[in-house]
This record gives sequence, C-alpha cells and structure tokens, in this order.
Amino acid sequence: MTAQTEQKWAEKASVLGKEDMERVLRRIAVEIVERNKGLERVILLGIQRRGVYLAARLREMLREAEKVKVPSGELDITLYRDDISVLSDQPVVHSTSVPGDITGKKVVLVDDVLFTGRTVRAALDAITDLGRPERVQLAVLVDRGHRELPIAADYVGKTVPTSRSENVEVRVKELDGEDRVVICERTGGTESGVEA
Amino acid sequence: MEWRHKNLITLEGWTREELGFFLDQTEYMEELLNRPIKKVPALRGKIVMNCFFENSTRTRASFEIAGKVLSADVINWSSSGSSASKGETLRDTVWTLEAMAADAVVVRHGEVGVPDYLAKKLTKASVFNAGDGTNGHPTQALLDLYTARQKLGNLEGAKMAIIGDVLHSRVARSDIQAFRKMGVHVTLSGPATLMPENTASLGVGYVSDAREAAEGADILYFLRMQRERQEDGLIPSIDEYHRRWGATDSLVSLASPRAVVMHPGPMNRGMEIASSVADGPRSVILDQVRSGVAVRMALLYLCLGGVR
Amino acid sequence: MILLKNATIFDGENLGTAYEDLLLKDGVVARRGTDLSAEGAEVFDLGGKLVCPGFIDLHVHFRDPGYEWRENTESGARAAAGGGYTTVVTMPNTEPAVDNPVTVEYLVARGKKAGASRVLPAGCVSKGRQGKQLAELALMAESGAVFFTDDGAPVSDAKLLKTALLYSRDLDVRIMEHPEEPSLSAKSQVNEGAVSAASGMKGCPASAEVIDIQRGIILSRETDSPIHFTHVSTELGIDAIRQAKKEGLPVTCDVTPHHLSLDETYVLVSRFSSAYKVNPPLRARKDVKALWDAVADGTVDAIVTDHAPYHLDDKDVPFQEALSGIASLECSVAVVLDTWAKTGKPVPLERLLELFTSGPAALLSRPWRSLGSLKEGAPGDVTVLDLEAIQRVDVNQWKSKARVCPWDGEMLQGWPVMALVEGRVVMNRLKDPE
Repeated sequence: MTAQTEQKWAEKASVLGKEDMERVLRRIAVEIVERNKGLERVILLGIQRRGVYLAARLREMLREAEKVKVPSGELDITLYRDDISVLSDQPVVHSTSVPGDITGKKVVLVDDVLFTGRTVRAALDAITDLGRPERVQLAVLVDRGHRELPIAADYVGKTVPTSRSENVEVRVKELDGEDRVVICERTGGTESGVEA
Repeated sequence: MEWRHKNLITLEGWTREELGFFLDQTEYMEELLNRPIKKVPALRGKIVMNCFFENSTRTRASFEIAGKVLSADVINWSSSGSSASKGETLRDTVWTLEAMAADAVVVRHGEVGVPDYLAKKLTKASVFNAGDGTNGHPTQALLDLYTARQKLGNLEGAKMAIIGDVLHSRVARSDIQAFRKMGVHVTLSGPATLMPENTASLGVGYVSDAREAAEGADILYFLRMQRERQEDGLIPSIDEYHRRWGATDSLVSLASPRAVVMHPGPMNRGMEIASSVADGPRSVILDQVRSGVAVRMALLYLCLGGVR
Repeated sequence: MILLKNATIFDGENLGTAYEDLLLKDGVVARRGTDLSAEGAEVFDLGGKLVCPGFIDLHVHFRDPGYEWRENTESGARAAAGGGYTTVVTMPNTEPAVDNPVTVEYLVARGKKAGASRVLPAGCVSKGRQGKQLAELALMAESGAVFFTDDGAPVSDAKLLKTALLYSRDLDVRIMEHPEEPSLSAKSQVNEGAVSAASGMKGCPASAEVIDIQRGIILSRETDSPIHFTHVSTELGIDAIRQAKKEGLPVTCDVTPHHLSLDETYVLVSRFSSAYKVNPPLRARKDVKALWDAVADGTVDAIVTDHAPYHLDDKDVPFQEALSGIASLECSVAVVLDTWAKTGKPVPLERLLELFTSGPAALLSRPWRSLGSLKEGAPGDVTVLDLEAIQRVDVNQWKSKARVCPWDGEMLQGWPVMALVEGRVVMNRLKDPE
C-alpha cells in the first residue's frame, strides 16, 4: 500500500538486503511453526499488494522445512480503509481470494510494513466478514513504529526506528525487480498526510 | 490509474484504457458478491438517491444492492407520488436533492439529456445515468461489456450483431459506443423503419437480413421489442418480426461456435427471443444481470470516493 | 440635426471608397458629401466606421399580447435598438393572435410608445392562425400590417394559402410562409441526421421543409402572387427557391444567423443544452454551407433573427422539455459578421449588408421600401457598424427579457455601435471604452 513516487522520495538508507530478507523470513517461518505447535489449521493471508508476495515466500519456506503445503490466500483491504473519504484519489481495488472457509482456522496475516496499524485494523474487519477464525496472528517484515491504534505484531522481521517524515519501502522482485528494504526521505512536494 | 470521472452520463469520454481498468475493478467487486457477508464499509456515510422518473425494476434494484453492499445509504426517490407528479420542475428537484446532501444521484428519465441537465446543475453530487429516453444507458453497456469479456476474453476484433429496434433503443446506442471502443465490429440488423436514418454516422454497418448479421458473429445482441411499434405502424406484425429478426435456434446456429446470446431484459419470449434461445446454452442473459450489480458497485466506488 | 462625419458609407447598394459625411435633418437624410458642416448639428466623428441604412429584421417574436413575461413590445423594441436594428417586423403568433386591424393598431401604438426601433406588425393569414378562415387581410394592411403569416406554423391548408395569395396580390403585402410539413416534423426535437441517430430523438427531415416550399412555389406560380419563405434552413429548401427564382417567379426567402453559424453537432457537443433547441432545427454542416452559397448567389433576400425569447422557466429545463427558439436580437449582427470573417469572408461585405438593409426593405409594403437606402429624402434610419470591435456576448446586459442564448459568453468581432431612427439616436455605444 505504498504510494510514493520516485520523484518525491529519495533513498536514504538500506535496511535489509536480499540475503537479510530471506534470513528474517526464515526466522518468521520457524516462529510460526513454534507458536502454533505445527501447521495444522494454519492459513497464510497476504495483504495486497506486497504482503501477498511475502506470504508466498513464507509458504515456500514452510513447505521446504515442514513438508506441508500451508493454504494461503490474498486479502485486499481497500474497501475497509478508514481514510477513503480523505484521499484525493480512490485507491485501486485488488483481488481477495481466501482458500476455503476460514472459520476455526489460525490465520496468519502477512504484511510488509507495520506503521499506524490502520491497515491491520481494516484487515481484521475484512477477516471478520469472511468468517470466524480461531485466532488471527500478524507477521510483518518491518515494524517502523508510530502506531495510532492498539495493534502489535506477533512476528516481526526487523524493527526499524524511523521519523514520520521518512518512508519505509519494501521492494520485492516480483513487483519491483529486487528484494530490498530501504528508508526513503521526502525530497520535495507537499506532505500527503495520509499513510496507508 | 487515477480515476478522473465524477459522473457517468455517457461513455463517450471514456478511453479504452479506462474501460479496461473499470472492468478489472468490476471483477474484484464481483468476488465480493460471492462472500458470505456481502458488505464492506467503503462508502459508509454516503447517500445515494435513486431517482427513477420512469419505471424500472432491475436497474433500480441493481443500483440499490450495489450501494448497500458498499454500505452507502440508498434512498429510492420514485416518480409516482413525488415531484414529477406534483408538477415540480426538474430544476427545483435538483435543488432539493442538493439540499438533502445527496452524494450521488442515479437518474432514469424518459427524456434525452436529463442526466446531462442534472450534472450541469448539481455542484456536489455525482450523477449516474440509468437510462435517458432513447439516448443512453451506459451502465447497461458496461455490464454487457463485462459479461462479453468474461465469456470471450479479449474483445478486440470480435464481431457483434445488434438486432431489433435500434431506433428507439438507448441500450443499442450505449452498447455501440462501448463495444466499438473495445475494438468490436458492430453490425446492426432490423426493419429499416426501426433503424436510425444515419447508421453510418454511428460507425456501424447495417444489413436488413438478420441472418447476414448473425453469420459468424461472436456476440448476438437482441433488443427488446415493444408492442407499440406495431400499433405505430412501424412493423406489420409481431409474428413477421419474430420470424425475420427474432432470436431463433436457426438464426443463432449461424453465429460463430463460441458465440454468446445477450439481451438487456426484460425479455418478451416469443417476440424478439424464442424461449429455446433464452434458456439455451449460448444465453448469457442471467450473467448480464449478475454483472449489473458488480458494475454498479465499481461505478459507485470509483466515482464517489476521494476528496472533491 | 445630426451630422455623422468621416464614415465609410454603404447606401444599400454600394460601399463608399472614401470617408464621407451624412447629415440627418427633420428625420430624413438631408445630405451626403465630404466636409459637411451644419450649424447647431450634433456631430459624431466616426473615424471610418461603417454607416448603413438602418438594419431591418423581418422576423421577431415580441410575445405581445399574451406572453409579456417572455418579452413585450417595449423590451423587444429596445432590444432591437440595442442589436442595431432600426425596424423590426413582429410575428402574429400571440394570444390573442394578431388577426384583426385592432390588434395591429395596438402594436403600432405600443411600438411608437416604446420610442426605440420601429415596430411593424405582421398579421395572420387565417383567423386565430387556425388555417380555416381568411383573416381580415385588407383591413390589417390599412392599419399597418406589413406581412401576412401564420408563423410559428405553416398555413395549414393549401386551399387557404392559395386563397390568401390571390386575395393579398393587390394589397401590396406579402405572404410569409413558415415552411414546414407537420406530418413529417411532428414531435421532432432535432435535425434528422447525425444527432437524431446518436440520441434517438425524433428528427425533422429536410423533406418537411422542402415539401412546403414546393407547395408555396406551385401556388405562387398558379396565382402569380408573391410568396416569401422565412428561416429556410436546408440545402434542398434553398435549391427549390433558387429554381423558382430562375424561373422568374416572385419568390423570396430569408435565413437566420443561427442557421448560418451553427450546425446540429452543437446539440451533442453542448450535451443537450436547450439553448440550441430551435425550429427549424440546426441542420447539417452541408446545409450551413448551402445557405452561405445562397447568400453569395443572390438566392437569399434577407437575414432575419427569428428572435424567439422565452422565460427561464421555459428554457432552463432539459432539452426535450424546452421550448424551441433562439433569442438573438442583441448579438445577431455580430454573430453574422463574426462568422463571415472567420469563414474567410465568403461573400463581399456589400452583399452581406444588403441582406440587413435594401434586401428586406424591398419586401416591405411600399411606404417602407425607402428604408433600405440613404438617398437624400430617405428616412433618417442609420446603423453604424464597427467591424473591428470585439466584445463578449453577455445576456445579463440585454434589454430583451430572454436570458438563454447560444453565444452567451462568446467573444465576437464586428458590432453595431450606433443606431438612429428618423434622425433620433436610439442606441449609442461609440463612447464605450471597448
């Protein structure tokens, strides 16, 4: 749900490289197995858009490590956002597809960056409309702080202290051509004020 | 893509890219309709006024469901017993709608240009044309396009025959516009008395013989036939019409192997369409109805969001 | 006494080649010459602007009596002066219709009282415009009617039209026919063509016009009586009139500024703005071209506004509900001059000016025919044009009660800047800064 453009944001620091990203994802995969005492009834739900790709990586790692194919799906939270009426343009909707009924399942939500917590809030609403899971857990690659809602992640790849004027950009090779996490800083333009 | 349309009055100003994007968004909306709880909060707090100055069941219900699934408050402002029958001018109706803080006005009217008029007058609300006289019915065209794309894939180069009373049909006018934009070759067929004077200016061909139009077509679109046309002396008899231009099995058999049969509904079985065709394997008429809700959801969502 | 100095003079036929002066005295043209001076005269230095015989509009609707909230004789006469016209002919489709000498006299008196442009009434051909019985044509002519017409509609009955042509032959007042065959035009909203195809609205075909014109031509030939066709809008209609003229028949016609400048596509481009709804409808591009060709070759005798004012409640409504008519008295001269300039001046200026002056004057009854010239002794009616003036059309400044106009807000070039009726200034914008 990052909305930055190259012109407006300049890269300031690299947080995770390709290998780092793989390492922290593997750790998260292990933690998921530990926390849930296996993978029974576990479902991975990637939040559109980059969460979807991260969930796919986790699924592959779990398949390699545990020889289990974890059901996974993708969740688009656009229609559940609380900021639709203050954005200048209507955000584009992406697909939601959930593997079967989620009622009674252990849903692991996967997203790239945990920031204000509003995306996760929307995702929880979306999940509630889809069924009644036994529990919902949250896995994020980066937690950059600045929470506006009482939300915490169960699995965190890396905690990165940031200032509000910065932006954390997770790049995945499927969409961005590389696997990397960078901190960017605004170089011009006006404050958008709204973060996804 | 940044969505730049606030209203939908006509598809004239929509680019092919915008149509494609719109149909993609519609797909996600349709997915939402298959969920156990068909409701998302996207348009919470928005007021949608359904202003139908002319009878309609399905279009109105379709807009109503679309609005409600997106959590908008949908109010049906029906013509009977309201302004129109009390002789209120449309200008006054406009100010009333504005005063009631409507965010969107869905309008159907028997006269051409009424949605244009509303859109020029309303400063805040979006205006959606749900059919204006003989002029246009753009959401019908979008749902037709969506259904056809779903069944046939890329529509570029596809052949479409629109058969029937084109002269009085707003559906035909909007569909011609929409399908041509997507690269579809459109041929009209029907009695010459039910064709516009100047079909060439619409960018389509015309053949009197329905069989010629249906030959190899990928989309067979049959228009509603009104009994009044016989009374007006534009066709000699319903029976003659049915035999020459009605959707019959023999006519449909001339189309391409993948062809779909479409109809805007409600159907007059035995008049412009035989039951065997309406209920037959080629018919996608119910898919059209289903698409209608998703299309109107996408429309409300894209045009009503954002700060203005 | 008024002295117009340093003007280019168009006398109804020819355009002067050097600056000249024109002296108006006792309501008539007293002298034309160079370096004129006159003791006690009010002098206007025109700096080369164009002095013409007062412009004549043979076709206006002042809605008086009966629909005075749309316009009345006073607002109409003042609007005419504002638009540079010194004489207008009012149509008789009022309530009650102008079908008797009393109403004609009423309008003449109202026009005089308005003290602006000269108002000459047209009377009905048939009583109540019903197309059944002949109206009192001779008495109306005596009272000052200058045309007979059932305008707003054609003379609905061919036999009655023939009777009227015969009866009016010796009255020196022409029949003005609104050419429309109602069975073909019924319920039409737009031209039959691209716009009717695109919108599904009922179109008015060219045949509706040409059939009625042919009927009139045939009856004119049969009765040897003159007939005038007003607001001719189609190529076919104009061709029929051209043929009749070639044959030597006493057939004349006029065209409107809107049919010379707008085509049917404006209805679509404006997204069904009722400003473009008019009868006969705006036609195809080729028809507009044909009208200009007819202006060039002399088929057209006059340009008339068909000024059709309405109240906002009649016009500020969706297209199909709106009443048909364009109000343009106060911008029509500019519309024509602007279109003429922008289309590369397809006809000589003199020819265009004839259609506002000597052309229409020749169609009036005898006492008024000298209105079209500036000969010494002619009425002191003058319209001054500034071909360079560029000004925005602003309906809110109009003297007319109409507030809907296709050209509202547009910048047009070529405006009347002064108008005099019988030596009396009825409009003067010479001192305006722009």
